[in-house]
Amino acid sequence: MAVDPITVELLRNRIASLMEEMDYHFYRSGYSTIVRESRDFSCVIIDPNGRLLVAPWMFFHSPVYYHVVRRIKDIYGIDDLADGDVFVTNHPYEGNMPHASDMGFISPIFYDGTLVAFAATIAHKADVGGTVPGSTYGSATELYHEGMMLPPIRIHRAGEPVDDVMRLISANTRAPYVVLGDISGQIGVTRIGRKHMQEMCARFGVETVLDSMDAMIEASGEEFAAALREIPDGFAEATGYLDHDGVDETTKVKLNVKITIKDGKLHFDFTGCDPQTQGPVNLRIAMVEACVYYCLIGLIDPNLRYSDGIRDLVTFEFAERSVLSAEPPRPCSSYMKCCLKLCDVILEAMDPLLPGRAIAHSGGSGGSIIVAWKGDTRPKRGNQYEIFGSAYGAGAGADGVSGVSVMLANLFAAPVEIIEAEFPCRIREFNLNTDSGGAGEFRGGLNFVREYEMLEPAEIVYRADRSIEPPAGLQGGEPGGPSRFVVNPGTPGEEIMPSSARMNLPEGTVFRVNGPGGGGYGDPKKRDPEALANDIAEGYVSEEAANKFYK
Amino acid sequence: MAKYRLGVDVGGTHTDLVLTDTRTNKILIEKVHSTPANPSLGVLEGVQRFFARGVSATDIDFFSHGTTVTTNALLEMKGASIGLLITKGFRAIQVVQSQARESNQFELKFQRPSELASQQMTREITGRIDYAGEQVEPLNEDDVRQAITDLKAKGATSFAVCYVFSFMNPAHEQRTAEIVREEMPEAFISLSSEVLPRIREWPRMSTTMLNAYLEPGLARYADDLDKGLDTAGVATARRFLMQSNGGVMPLGATAGGGRTVHTLLSGPAAGVQATGYVLGEQQGWSQVVTMDMGGTSCDIAFIQDSKPLEVTEGMIAERRLDVPAFDISTISAGGGTIARLTAANFMSVGPDSAGADPGPVCYGRGGDRPTVTDADLICGFLNPEHLLGGGTPLDRDGAVKAVEDTIANAMDLSAEEAAAGIIRLINARMADEIRVQAAKKVIDLATFTLVPFGGAGPVHAAMVADELNIPRILVPPNPGAFSALGLLCSDIVHDYIRSDIREINNLESADAEAYFVGLEEQATTDLANEGLGENEREFIRDLDLRYAGQGYEIRTPLEGLSASPMTADGLAQVQERFHELHQTLHGHSARDQEIEVVSYRVRVRVPVAKQDLPETAILDGVTEPVGERVVTYDGKEKFNAPVFTRDTLKSSVIQGPAIIEQFDSTTVLPPGWTAKLDKFRNIVGERNR
Repeated sequence: MAVDPITVELLRNRIASLMEEMDYHFYRSGYSTIVRESRDFSCVIIDPNGRLLVAPWMFFHSPVYYHVVRRIKDIYGIDDLADGDVFVTNHPYEGNMPHASDMGFISPIFYDGTLVAFAATIAHKADVGGTVPGSTYGSATELYHEGMMLPPIRIHRAGEPVDDVMRLISANTRAPYVVLGDISGQIGVTRIGRKHMQEMCARFGVETVLDSMDAMIEASGEEFAAALREIPDGFAEATGYLDHDGVDETTKVKLNVKITIKDGKLHFDFTGCDPQTQGPVNLRIAMVEACVYYCLIGLIDPNLRYSDGIRDLVTFEFAERSVLSAEPPRPCSSYMKCCLKLCDVILEAMDPLLPGRAIAHSGGSGGSIIVAWKGDTRPKRGNQYEIFGSAYGAGAGADGVSGVSVMLANLFAAPVEIIEAEFPCRIREFNLNTDSGGAGEFRGGLNFVREYEMLEPAEIVYRADRSIEPPAGLQGGEPGGPSRFVVNPGTPGEEIMPSSARMNLPEGTVFRVNGPGGGGYGDPKKRDPEALANDIAEGYVSEEAANKFYK
Repeated sequence: MAKYRLGVDVGGTHTDLVLTDTRTNKILIEKVHSTPANPSLGVLEGVQRFFARGVSATDIDFFSHGTTVTTNALLEMKGASIGLLITKGFRAIQVVQSQARESNQFELKFQRPSELASQQMTREITGRIDYAGEQVEPLNEDDVRQAITDLKAKGATSFAVCYVFSFMNPAHEQRTAEIVREEMPEAFISLSSEVLPRIREWPRMSTTMLNAYLEPGLARYADDLDKGLDTAGVATARRFLMQSNGGVMPLGATAGGGRTVHTLLSGPAAGVQATGYVLGEQQGWSQVVTMDMGGTSCDIAFIQDSKPLEVTEGMIAERRLDVPAFDISTISAGGGTIARLTAANFMSVGPDSAGADPGPVCYGRGGDRPTVTDADLICGFLNPEHLLGGGTPLDRDGAVKAVEDTIANAMDLSAEEAAAGIIRLINARMADEIRVQAAKKVIDLATFTLVPFGGAGPVHAAMVADELNIPRILVPPNPGAFSALGLLCSDIVHDYIRSDIREINNLESADAEAYFVGLEEQATTDLANEGLGENEREFIRDLDLRYAGQGYEIRTPLEGLSASPMTADGLAQVQERFHELHQTLHGHSARDQEIEVVSYRVRVRVPVAKQDLPETAILDGVTEPVGERVVTYDGKEKFNAPVFTRDTLKSSVIQGPAIIEQFDSTTVLPPGWTAKLDKFRNIVGERNR
C-alpha cells in the first residue's frame, strides 16, 4: 500500500464529516415538505470509479450512486467530463434511481486536471409530473405515468447553469417553485463537496487522496469479507408475497430468494420471483443490492462499514424481466414496499443459518399519502405529503418497536400540528392500533391509526401494502395485524379501500388508515406472563387476543 | 462588610469552587469530591473549606452554581413518577415520536429509550383546539378529575399536560392545572403551553415530560441547598442556578414555570459562558472555539463576537429537548478513548472509552486496551512521574506493551509510531467536528482562537489547531476551575416563546407587538415573583422566520431594528435581515418568496455584577526549564523538549517543542509554535508564519 493507514483513516473520517455538512445544508434549506420534515435524501462523495467511501444516512441510496456514475461515464466518457459539470437524472432505468420522484445530481470533481471524485446527492421531489399530483402513482402501469424522464444529462456545464434544462423541468412539474428550490439546494451541496475535496487534494496531494480512497474501499471490503466468513456454509430459501402490484388487485406478487453460502461468498438467486409487474412495484439492481447489503450488515454486525468493496463477495442471479430485474417501461414508483418485503424474505431465509439474529417480518413501508386540496378556504401551499412508518418485527430477546420507520426507510413523521396549520384537514385520531403487533414469545411492534377529516374537497393518492398478506411471524410467532383503509368508518356509507388507491373525497369525508404491525417471534405461549400483563395494561394487547394467542 | 462571590460547579466526580474577593479581584479555588446521592452535601463541604481558610460566611453576598443534578437524574432514570394528560385520541404521539431512528440504522432489534410516561400513566382528555386557537370541543373537566384520581392512585406525583394546539390557546391546559391544584394540591404540574408554547406536538410533549419528570428532584435539591446554606450561615438571598443558555435563574425559581428543563444542558454551559465573558468581553478574545476534553468526551462550542452561539433544539440521552441552549457538540474523544485494530489491519480510535475505571493502561488499574492517554504518555507529552499533580507514577512500559500487542505489531509499526497515529486520529476527529460545526455556522476558523480546557485539552490543542489552520491557542490560568468562574459571569436570563404561523406580509405590526408585549408582561410577572421586580432589565426580541413551505425556522434577532415597539418598518427590516441570514447560512436566499413568522421570542436579561480577572504583572526574565523530555509527534523524529512549570513562567517567549506543566493540565507546544503569557496569565500559543 502506497499510503499509510493512518492517513487513510483520517481522510475517511474527513469525508464522513464532509457528507454530514452537505446533508445539513441541504435539509436546512429544503423547500419541500418531503425534504424538510421527512429528510428523504442523501448526499455523498464517491471515488472516480463510482464507488462509495462512506455510506450515507439514507443507506439504500448507496448502490444507486455506483450505477449512475457508471452510466454517466458510459454515455459521456471521462474525456467529456469537466470540473463544475453537474448531471441530473431521475430515470429509474437509465440512472437506477429508486423511482422517478427521486432526482439525482452528480458532479465530477477535478483537481489539476485529474478526476478525483464525484459529489452527488439524491432527493425526493414534491412533483415531477405524471398522472397524479405528487407523481408517486401506486396504480401506474407505465413509467411515463410516473413523471417526466430525465436520463443523465447536464444541468450545469463547467459551473454554468444549462437554462434549457431548468426550464424543461420547471414546465414538467406541478410544483415548480419547490422543485426548483430543492434543485438549487442539491446543486449547492455538490459545490460544497467539490470545494472540500479540492482543498483535501491541495493539502494531501492528489496521489495520496486517490490512493487513500482505494485503500479505504479495499479495507472495508476486507472487513466485510472477514465478517462473511463467519457465516457457516449452507443453503437457505424463503418466499413472501406482496398484496398485489397496485393495479391487478387479485394477484399477489411472489418474492423468492435462494441463498448459497460457500467460503464466505454469498450467492443470491432470485430466479424464483414473479415476472415484472404491470403496477409500480418493480425493482432494479441497485435496490436489490441495497436490500441484500442492508440485511447482511444487520445480521452480521450493525457496526460494519459499508463500501462498494462488498461487490466482489456477493453475486446475484435473476430471471429475465422479473419483478426484481424489470425493464422499461415498467413503472417503479412503489419500490419501497417491495424493498421492505424483500428484506423480510431475506431475513427469514437467513434465520436458520444465523439462529437468533433475524427478526420477523416488519410492517414494511407504512405507505404514503398525498392530498391535493381542492377548496379555497385556506392559502395554497402545494400538496400535503406524508410518509408513514410501520413497526418492527420481533426477534429473539426483543419485542418489535411500535410506530417507527423500519430498516431501509428512516423517515420523519409530519407533525399533526404542522399538517393542520398548513392544510384544511383535521386529524381526529392518532392512536396505537391495539393487537396489530404479532403475538409471540416476543411481540411484534404495533402500528398506529390515523384518521383524517377533510375540511375541503380533496384528491387523495395513497399507496401501501400488507392488507391481504400481513407481516409474517418467525419461529412460531403470529403475523402482525394487516393494514386497513376505510372511508367514512362506522357510518352507513363506510367503504373499505384497497391498499393503494386514488380517490376524490367531498368535504366532510373521514378517511381512516390502520397501519400493519410487525410479526411476532417464537411461540406466544412462552411469553413472560409479566410482559403479557404489561401489554394488556398498556393497551397493546386486548384481553380477547391474549386469550386467543397467549393462553 | 460583604465582599465575596462564590461560584460552585458540581461535576460528575468533582465539585469545583471559585471564590472571588470583589474588592481585590483575588481568586480562591477549592476542589472536593462530588456527592451524587445528595449533591448539596459536596457543595456545602467545599464552602466549609473556605471558612477554614478564614472566609466568613456572612461576607459571601452572592452564590451561583452549576449542577448536573437534573442531567444525572435523567441518565440514571431516577426522576419522578409522572402522569401524562393528552388530547383524546392522540396516544400515538409519545410512541411514534419523530418516527425516525436516530441510532444505528442497521440494528434489526432496535429499541427506543424507555418511556417517561407509559400508556398506563397516560390519560386522554376530551377537548380540542384547532390550528387557529379556536375551541372545537370544550374541555371535559370530569375527564381531568377522573384522570387525576386514577393517576394519583397509581403513584403519580408530577403531571405533564400536553394538548394539541395548546400553544395557540392555553385555556384547556390552564383549566386542567386549576383542577389538578384542587384535586391534588401537592402535585407538580408542567403545562406544555408554559414549558414550550411552540408548534410541533412531539418536541413540545417531550420537553414537557422531561420537565415533569425532573422538576420534583430539582425542587428538592434546591430546597436542600437553600437550607444548607442557611445553616452554614451564608445568608445572602442572591442564590442562583446555571441554565443551558448561559444565564442564571434564582434558586427559588426552579419549582414551576417550566424552568427545570432549562438546566438539563447546563453542565458545560458555564465554561462556555466564562469564555464568552472573561476571554471575550473582558479580555478581547471575541472569536473563540472552545474544546473541553475530559476522560471520555470532548465538548466543542463557538463564541462569536464574544457571544456563545445558541441552538433552540437539542437531544439529551436520546430525548428531544427544545429549549434555548448553548450550541455545544459533544463527541467521543477523551483521554480514555480506546484505540483498536480493525479486521483489515487498520487503526481506529473510539468511540468507546475506558472511562475512569479501569481507565488507561498506564494508570495500572487493570485497563488493558490502549487509550489516547497511553499514547500521550508514549509520545512524551505526559509526565511519567505523576499525572495532574497526583503522586502516582504512570506505567509507560505497560502502555507500550498494550499498544504493541493490540496494534503496532500487526501494522508493523513501532510503539511510538502507533501512538503518534492514535494521537493523529483523535486530533483529526476533534478537528473534523470543529470543521463541520464551523461550516454549519459559516465561521472562518482562520480568525479564531482555540481555547482548550479539561485535563486533556491543552495537550492536544495546538495539534488540533494545526489540522484546522487555526493560528492561535489560549490556555486560561486554571483550565480545571474555568467553568466555576463562568458562574460568576452570568446574568439572570429567562426565555419566552409563543408560536403562531402567519405570513409576515399579512401580519399587522400591532398584532406582532401584542405577542411581544404579552411575553414581556409574563417575564415581568415572573421577575416580580422571583423578588427581582425592582431590578433593571433588558428585553430582547427575536422572530423565528422561514420561507413559506420550509420546515425549519431561523431565529432572527430584531436588535437594532424599529421593532420595539414593532412597526411596519421593523417588519420590513426583519425580512431583509432574514434573507441575509438565509443567504449566509445556506448559500442562497429567495427574495421573491413569502416569509412566514412561526414563533415570537423574548429574552429578559437582568444584569448581574460580573467577576473581572485582574491583570497581573509578569516577571521580566527568561523562564528556565525544570527538566527535559523526549517527545515525538510522528513516532519517528524525536525532540528533546524542555519542560516548564506554569507557575514560574516569566515574560520570555517559549519555543516549541516544549511542555508546560501545571497542577491540573499539561500544555504541549509542537515545533513551529511559540508561547508566552499575556497580562491575564493566559498562555497564548501561536503558530509561526
